[in-house]
Parts: sequence; structure tokens; C-alpha cells
Amino acid sequence: MSEFEKLKIVTRYELLKQLRRKRFYGALALTVLAQVLTIALYKGLDIPGKIHISDSPELFAIFSTSITTIAIIGSVFFSGDAIASEFEHKTGYILFPNPVKKITIVTGKYIACFIATAAILGVAYLISAFSLLGFYQSIPSGILSSLAIALALACCVLSIAFAFSSFMKGGMGATIATLLAFIMILPIVSTSLVYAGYNPWFLPNYAGNAVTATYGLQLGQVFGGFGEGRGARIGTPDPVTSFIVLLVYAAVLFQISIWLTKRREMV
Amino acid sequence: MREAIVIDGLSKYYNGFLALDKLSLRVRENEDVALLGPNGAGKTTTLKLICGLIRPSSGSVYINGVNVAEERERAISEVGTLLETPEFYSFFTPEETLSYLGKLRGMRERDLGHRIREVLKLVGLQKWTNIRIEKFSRGMKQRLALAQALLHDPQILILDEPSLGLDPRGMVDIREILKEAKKKKTIIFASHLLTEVTQICKKVAIIDHGKLRFYDDISRLKKKYRSLERAYLKLTEGAI
Repeated sequence: MSEFEKLKIVTRYELLKQLRRKRFYGALALTVLAQVLTIALYKGLDIPGKIHISDSPELFAIFSTSITTIAIIGSVFFSGDAIASEFEHKTGYILFPNPVKKITIVTGKYIACFIATAAILGVAYLISAFSLLGFYQSIPSGILSSLAIALALACCVLSIAFAFSSFMKGGMGATIATLLAFIMILPIVSTSLVYAGYNPWFLPNYAGNAVTATYGLQLGQVFGGFGEGRGARIGTPDPVTSFIVLLVYAAVLFQISIWLTKRREMV
Repeated sequence: MREAIVIDGLSKYYNGFLALDKLSLRVRENEDVALLGPNGAGKTTTLKLICGLIRPSSGSVYINGVNVAEERERAISEVGTLLETPEFYSFFTPEETLSYLGKLRGMRERDLGHRIREVLKLVGLQKWTNIRIEKFSRGMKQRLALAQALLHDPQILILDEPSLGLDPRGMVDIREILKEAKKKKTIIFASHLLTEVTQICKKVAIIDHGKLRFYDDISRLKKKYRSLERAYLKLTEGAI
């Protein structure tokens, strides 16, 4: 049997595993809730009026799709333990003594986690799309580019989670490390760089902001800054550059996770 | 008769601690060998090295002539394993677990269903086929672990304390299964239970502090030391 056939088997059963876990449905429910809340507050508090920008499908899309980054970060909860748990919970004693390469196992797990994340993202974008149709009877074309960047961001976050998961002892540790990296360390670095006058286009969290930069509006104008002439300006990441940056991070970190898993022993 | 497993000068260090010291062992086809030794003697390390779950610091393992370190997937294709106290994916049922592992081993969908029912019946889990493993006791997981080891009808069985966690009936059941299996399979298994060893195996390898102290027929050992128990105590003297 070819490794590709084995990859399909691993992916199928890993996906089944994800679909049986409460974490997947928890991440899905949180995403839906966050999106509904964002849309309700956008309309209920008249956000366009408050920021003095005329309401438009593009502005609405920026707010409604900005929440998708939460969905992606939520996916860390079901990808952080993907590799570590095989060692931590000793399930590796059942899986690894099979004639299947570790690269196949890691890739299958990655694809399964990606499909699960993409499913949640798909639901989030569908809610955005239906809301746009309902409120404005039109969907900005930028939503597709936004979805593409969101998927690239998902790949990047999954790769970070897999890299941590491939060498850390526990799944929870890998999950927390990924979350800390993405919601604390990287934002500190990127904000500091912005304050210092540098464009942090090469950082994955900054590149991830490009999910809202595909609608033709300047994010600095929408989300404001720190006042007139003071503080940091909110830049608008270039969608194409950001897409590439995210995929490069995803590819490199995924390779690292494969290399680390291959070297890891079932002690 | 050809050699199913060849262990050649195998050593393993764990962070500077020597767990296995130049172990050499040859197991012929259809032979059944028990690894005996005190806790920490190196039995499980030996079994893990045979399966390629850990890398040797020096030395080699060959299964059916294939070097495990160089071609792990090919070497272990005819091996069934039960190592440590394995855990299973708790969200799966035994049928799903065995289906997953069977497919990974290249078993055909048509034969797989029949074989899954067969091995689950063999280990006494036929009524639990579609119950999620999260509800299983330790003994039931041990039975399932044996079922997955036997699933693809491998030529070689590598078992680490197969009756661990089982009640007396479970122990007898496992012993009977292994007695039947040894008729056409090579078995190498680690155990602390001397009665189990004498009932299943003809040969014994006594390991202590990572070194092989004795490797021969149990009958010869008994002749020399009067009983397996006395031999074990004598050969592992001073072990903690």
C-alpha cells in the first residue's frame, strides 16, 4: 500500500476523532456566538455612525470577518495536542508500531485539523455572507480573498501548534504555548515595531490582520489610532504579501514539526 | 530454521543512564522467548528497540533479516505488538480502532470486518464492539491491545506483560490465546510471572542491569538451578 493511501486513512480517522471531540463543537459554538454578537453590536450600536464612516457592505464585512481570527485561534484547542497526546497518553504505542511513516501520520493529523478549522471558518464566512445579503443585498468580492488569507492564517497557526506539540511533553502545554505566542508574544513584538516606525509585515499575527484588508478600506481609518499625531498608526497589511508570509511560516514550521516528531522517541 | 529476530550488540543510553548494555540475542522462527528480569532491567527497552519506537545508542536489530533502524516500516510489517499499558483513542469504539489499525496495515475492507469480529471474540470483547473505549476498564483495554496485536495475523508477536491489569480469568484467557498463537508464531514477551513464562515459553532470557545473564531453554535452567524461581533469584541477585 502506498504512503498516499495510508495518508488518506490517517486523515479520515483523525478527522473522525476531531468530530467526536467536544472541543470542535465548543470552538464552533464560540465562533458562531462571537460572530452573531459582533454583527448585533455593529448594527445595534451604530458603529459606522460612531466612527464617522458611512455604512457600506465593505465596512460591515471588515467587522464581521475580523472575528474569524478568533475561530482560527480557537482551533489551537483541538490541534495543540495532536502530536503530544500520542506520547503523553501512550496512544503512540498503538499507532507507531504500524508500518506507516511518521511524516504520513503528522501530515494526516495536520490535514484533519485543517479540515476541521476550515469547516469552522466556512461557517463563520457563511454567516458573514448571509448577513451581508440580508442587510445590503450584496457581497463584496474581497470576502473571497479574505477567506483565502484566513485559510493561510489557519495553516500558520496549525503549524505553530504542531511545532510546539511535536516536542512538548503535554498537549495542554503545547496549546498554551501556541496561544501565548499568538495572542501575547507576537502582538507585543509587532506593536513595538510599529511604535518604532517599522512595518512588521513579516510577523504572522500582523499578516493575519490582512483578513480585513481585502475590502479596499484603510484599517487605520476604520479602527482608529491613538490620537492625532501620537502613538502608533494602524497599518493595512498588503493581502498578497501577507498571504505569502503566512504560507511560508506554515510550510517551515510544519517541516520542523515533522523533523521533531521523526526524532522523538516513545520513551 | 531461519532467525526471526536478531539483536546484535544492542545498547541504549537514556540521558547518560545505560539501560541496555551490548545485548545480543537470536530468536528463531516459531520460537517463544520470555524476557525475565527485575524492574528497570531493560526488558521494555529491548522490546521498544525491536519495534523501532526508540533508537539504539549502538548495535542493531533485524527482523526477518531487515534492519529496523534502516527500514522500520518494512521490518515491522509482520509484527504485532503490545507495549507498556497502551491507551486507545477514547472517542473510538473497538471496531473503529481495529478498522483504523487494520487499514494502516493494508488489510482489505472485506476481510477486515470478519477478522475484527474474530479477534474481538477471541479476547472476549465481542459484546463491546461498538461501545466507546472511554467506558473501558484497564483489563478491557489490555484485551483490546492484544486484539490489535493479533489483528493482522502477524508472524511475530512482541508483548510486554500481556496479562498486566487482568483479573485471574483474564490472565488464563490470555495465556490460552498465547498458547494457541505460539504454535505458528514467534513470540517474544516480557513478564514478571514465572508461571506464565513456563506455561508459554520454552526459552528464557534473563536480563539484569541491562545485561543478558542467561539465554537458553527453561528446562536447562531448571536443571542447573533446580527451579526457574531459584534461577531468577540467583541470576538477578542484588537487583533492586
